[in-house]
Amino acid sequence: MSAKQTIAIIGATGNMGAAIARSLSKGKNRLLLFSHNQDKSQQLAHDIKNSHTSADVESIECKVNASWEADIIILAVPYGAEKEIAAQIRDVANQKIVISIANPLNETYKKMVTPTDTSAAEELQKLLPNSKVVKAFNTIFAADFANPVIDGKQVDSFIAGNDAEAVDTVTELVKTAGFNAIVAGELPASRTLEHMMLLLIQLTMKHNYNWLAGWKILHN
Amino acid sequence: MYDLFFRKFNERVALTSEEEMLIKQLLTPKKLRKKQYLLQEGDTGKSICFVEKGALRAYVLDEKGNEYITAFAFEGYTIGDLYSFMNAAPATLNIDALEDCELVLLSKSAHEELLQKLPKYETYIRLLLTDAYIMLQRRMTNMISLPIEERYIAFSEMYPTIFQRVPQHMIASFMGLSPETLSRVRTRISNKK
Repeated sequence: MSAKQTIAIIGATGNMGAAIARSLSKGKNRLLLFSHNQDKSQQLAHDIKNSHTSADVESIECKVNASWEADIIILAVPYGAEKEIAAQIRDVANQKIVISIANPLNETYKKMVTPTDTSAAEELQKLLPNSKVVKAFNTIFAADFANPVIDGKQVDSFIAGNDAEAVDTVTELVKTAGFNAIVAGELPASRTLEHMMLLLIQLTMKHNYNWLAGWKILHN
Repeated sequence: MYDLFFRKFNERVALTSEEEMLIKQLLTPKKLRKKQYLLQEGDTGKSICFVEKGALRAYVLDEKGNEYITAFAFEGYTIGDLYSFMNAAPATLNIDALEDCELVLLSKSAHEELLQKLPKYETYIRLLLTDAYIMLQRRMTNMISLPIEERYIAFSEMYPTIFQRVPQHMIASFMGLSPETLSRVRTRISNKK
């Protein structure tokens, strides 16, 4: 037996948030879903419980309480929304793992809005100096969570972070979600990971991959 | 969030505001709802837990699944599986919340960092451990040497408010009595008054 870890998903009813919630509900996790649209987060919790009866998931009214209860916090919100949320949850996220999934793309998906010497994850770490920020799930499309094997190959999912124990914990979550977990390095490796998604989005639009695509490292 | 934690700390060892800041950076605030687990047998106890608000209990299970309560923790108490925490070994205790709780957790890495950086922290931890050892010594000597009624009196002095917050069968379990025996003892004592 082991005690469940509580995961707060902020922005749980967006495409990415909902996909992450569905896939992590399969593991030994307790999920707290926060969304500005509470009807939607309640509906999502209900749907998840209908599809796995053993799932431990509920909608929660307040993101601060969600983060206070949580062991792990996933910010499934656009890069632009992170600053305000970070200020709200900063105290209750002290020493906790905070997963950054955001890619700081501009509106036309042509380039990054962050300077070249930083990344969304590093900016979040500056806003939450006493939290353990880990980059994960940012190179994954929402549809990949339901199909983590594409064309017979398991999609790679990259992780970056400075705290070894936090990186291990997040690696287990990535595996629970069904992906091949690869630790890319410390948090600045997020710069590369975020640019990988910029390229994947551009290629997806150009070649019409139908938003079901992923990265795979080939090796012997 | 950390009011009681620092009040208790300052009662034993006075801290400057810089020292409080240093400690604060390393604390993990955590809410736990009634009946949720902080730790289950077999987990590694990764933190020491200070109770800011609420109540918890620690218990072990025998082969048949019977519970034996080893400790209660209320506001201002510290609880954890010390063996598991110190040795990074599987816990033998289960710890769950008897009420909705607000907790302050100190992880192993935070604990070690503070031991290195802040001698006052080491002093505080030494005082806490000494208190815990004395509690344990009293509990053990009471258990093996006192008649049941005196054990009950000693227990209610140790935990004056416990009867309002904890069901009687749990108190019986903690005292190593059957619920029926505890109930008889309580009746006898109240008749004497």
